[in-house]
Amino acid sequence: MTETRRILIVLPLYGGSLPIGRYCGNALRELGHMVEYFEAPDFFGAFSALKTLRVGTDRLDYLENSFLQVVSQAILAKVETFCPDLVLAMAQAPLSRQALKRLRRDKVPTAMWFVEDREVFPYWKAFAPLYDLFAVIQKGDFADQLREIGQPNSVYLPLAADPSVHRPLEMTSVERRKYGSEISFVGAGYPNRRLAFRQLCGYDLRIWGNDWDGEAILAPYLQRGGERIGTEEVVRIFNATTINVNLHSSVRPGALVGDGDFVNPRTFELAACGAFQLVDRRGLLPELFAEGELALFSDMAGLLQGIEFYRTDPEARAEVAARGRARVLAEHTYAHRMQTLLQHASALMQPREVAPEDWRAQMDPRLREDVEALLARLGLPPTVSFEDLVWAVRGREGSLDRLETAILFLDEWKKMYAGPRPGK
Amino acid sequence: MNCEDVPARSHSPLRFLVIQLARFGDLIQTKRLLRSLQECGETHLLVDRSLTALAHIVYPGVRVHGIAAHGAHGPDILARVYEDLGDIAGLDFHRVYNLNFSGLSFALSGMFEPSRVRGYRSLRGQRLIDSWPGQVMRWTRDRSLTGLNLVDVWGLYADQPVSPERVNSAGPDAIPRGGGIGVVMAGQNARRSLPAQVLAPLVVAALGRVGRGPIHLLGSGTERRAARELAALLPAKLRGEVRDLVGRTGWRELHDVVGGLDLLVSPDTGTMHLAADLGVPVLAFFLSSAWCHETGPYGRGHLVLQAARSCAPCLETAPCPHDTACRQVFSDPSVLRHVSGHTGRALAPGCLVMESGFDALGLTFTAVAGTDPAAARRSAFRAMAAAYAGVPMPGSAVCLTEETWMRERDWMLPQTLRGRAHD
Repeated sequence: MTETRRILIVLPLYGGSLPIGRYCGNALRELGHMVEYFEAPDFFGAFSALKTLRVGTDRLDYLENSFLQVVSQAILAKVETFCPDLVLAMAQAPLSRQALKRLRRDKVPTAMWFVEDREVFPYWKAFAPLYDLFAVIQKGDFADQLREIGQPNSVYLPLAADPSVHRPLEMTSVERRKYGSEISFVGAGYPNRRLAFRQLCGYDLRIWGNDWDGEAILAPYLQRGGERIGTEEVVRIFNATTINVNLHSSVRPGALVGDGDFVNPRTFELAACGAFQLVDRRGLLPELFAEGELALFSDMAGLLQGIEFYRTDPEARAEVAARGRARVLAEHTYAHRMQTLLQHASALMQPREVAPEDWRAQMDPRLREDVEALLARLGLPPTVSFEDLVWAVRGREGSLDRLETAILFLDEWKKMYAGPRPGK
Repeated sequence: MNCEDVPARSHSPLRFLVIQLARFGDLIQTKRLLRSLQECGETHLLVDRSLTALAHIVYPGVRVHGIAAHGAHGPDILARVYEDLGDIAGLDFHRVYNLNFSGLSFALSGMFEPSRVRGYRSLRGQRLIDSWPGQVMRWTRDRSLTGLNLVDVWGLYADQPVSPERVNSAGPDAIPRGGGIGVVMAGQNARRSLPAQVLAPLVVAALGRVGRGPIHLLGSGTERRAARELAALLPAKLRGEVRDLVGRTGWRELHDVVGGLDLLVSPDTGTMHLAADLGVPVLAFFLSSAWCHETGPYGRGHLVLQAARSCAPCLETAPCPHDTACRQVFSDPSVLRHVSGHTGRALAPGCLVMESGFDALGLTFTAVAGTDPAAARRSAFRAMAAAYAGVPMPGSAVCLTEETWMRERDWMLPQTLRGRAHD
């Protein structure tokens, strides 16, 4: 067990890195750390309302920037209260440059997990130097480019799966009818996918996800009118589908099957579910999965051949899926990623001023059992400090019981009266 | 139904909890709220353990609970607090009135459903302040022109507060009881107390006003030396009248002694509030941060000698740049003459003799000697505060809409009366 750290995860207002941020939080808690989220999505409603004003574009731009500055200030206030050992920002986190400079001045270490394609989202160049650690999902000369613009501390951190979310499910026949099909795809309607999936219209095909509007040929296959599908249902679709097609997005004109390097989260998630997938080859895939752990294709002909081969061979599907799941559980969970990230961030984080004391040993024996139960309920490790326990209790939903109340009371009492710390 | 917005479960009696973790004086000043709630249902009071005996005496019918809030309790405090909370943990409270802006109070609020807590509460670690106490805190930034008595501030948390005349246990009017005078040696804050040399002439003057002894010296054990000094400074013929009870009274004895007095001479203290509650006339001296409009003795007919320099009232936590010059006025012969009952001549500048009374909102103080330049403004403030509190104030002065008294958010955010519903 490593030292328990306080980590503030700054979520984006919305978007693909939002669930990844939550998976990171799950993993860090699983590793015994104290996690607090900055819930930027809670601000999205008010932010969206600005767009309904029917005001001039320059005025709207000003208002949106001002709003995001307020959100940034809210993050700083959260940092001030929570005193994190590390601020972990997900891609699109609403941390302004001014706020990042302030955090650096205050010696609060920051890390960004940039889970985006650097070619498609070049804004990283303006922000990367302001973070203390910059984690990316691509290799090549990315680290060199980062170094050139003033970010020498980068780390390759591929995406992963959360086994508590992405897992094999027992499906009822009703659920299989609702979510299942011979072939399915869950994701956004990028141009290459639109063109590629037209060739799958002869199959029992279902397409789930948004951004498919205006696609007449595929419209009969699009489920629920192209609405966004929540994670829980996505996992059910993965589990209920015979062949999950996993075609990475590509914005390269004319290329239906791209030749990119990074591996998308769906690859890990499908594998963790024990679901069978046909995934296009990626530059960084071989170092993540060995031969036989995934079924691959390189072009449309390969995709069609793979479908024909695997649709009638359940045993082959099951073998590949089992090998893929084993590899993910062994090496590609968010817990693995967070361990890697924290190893790189360890040099940035200050040693904790006060080593966790064995405050439980000094506690009235009559309360010990109740406190153990409380720690278990809160998912806190045995080494948790009293201060971290207080923080966890304070964030609880609903009415507190009298032990929780007494703990908060004791914390306030200690602040009020200097001297020896009772109960510690 | 007159009391509270009673839900459909009208078969079970309403149950209220008041959390008052502050000191002696604050406990007494919670009386308007407690007496208002007692008219509506079963009323519980949570106080520091050191005050439970007193709470039982002054609030018969209220169910008193103690908690180890103050003092050095040693390493077993977690277990003690856990035990203490056992008394109230299983009770279903319709409302919880959490009165103190303190970490301890915020911590306790977490034990109750947030929508039932009034005053100060904590929601998933975020401290929240209701509109009413938030508004009162803002008003106190301009203390010289505003002023609501703390008894009324807390009393107006109740949806149906009892009228000011019904707040005291012994009735609204201060009436001498025949037992001589009492002298409280010091308040909790030394800057708000008077040294023996200043206090002694005041005591002599007060005795002249009453016309009879004995002179009961009251206070805690730490004030024994001050009591001896005071006794030594009194004229020889009066020394035989002195009954030095300093450090020798429990709550019951203090209650009984104070309740029999003709007059209590005191700075702003818990004993002063106790005397007022018992209908004993009070002659108080308020200086430094003490401000009669906020914490003066509750009832009709009490007198406060209010130091009224331009810097009054000050902040007691800030060092005084004037060497507590406001203290000197209490030695002025004109002030002593007024204390002894000779009110024909003018009062020295820097001092006001304020007499207590009531308006519809609660306790008021009006200058009976000296000039109070803020009187008109204060009347306007009270009209505005009454409107905010939903208290009809017939014939009130023009309501001033002072920018410093209201904030933009008061206009922008939906408000309900006295913050009864949360923001």
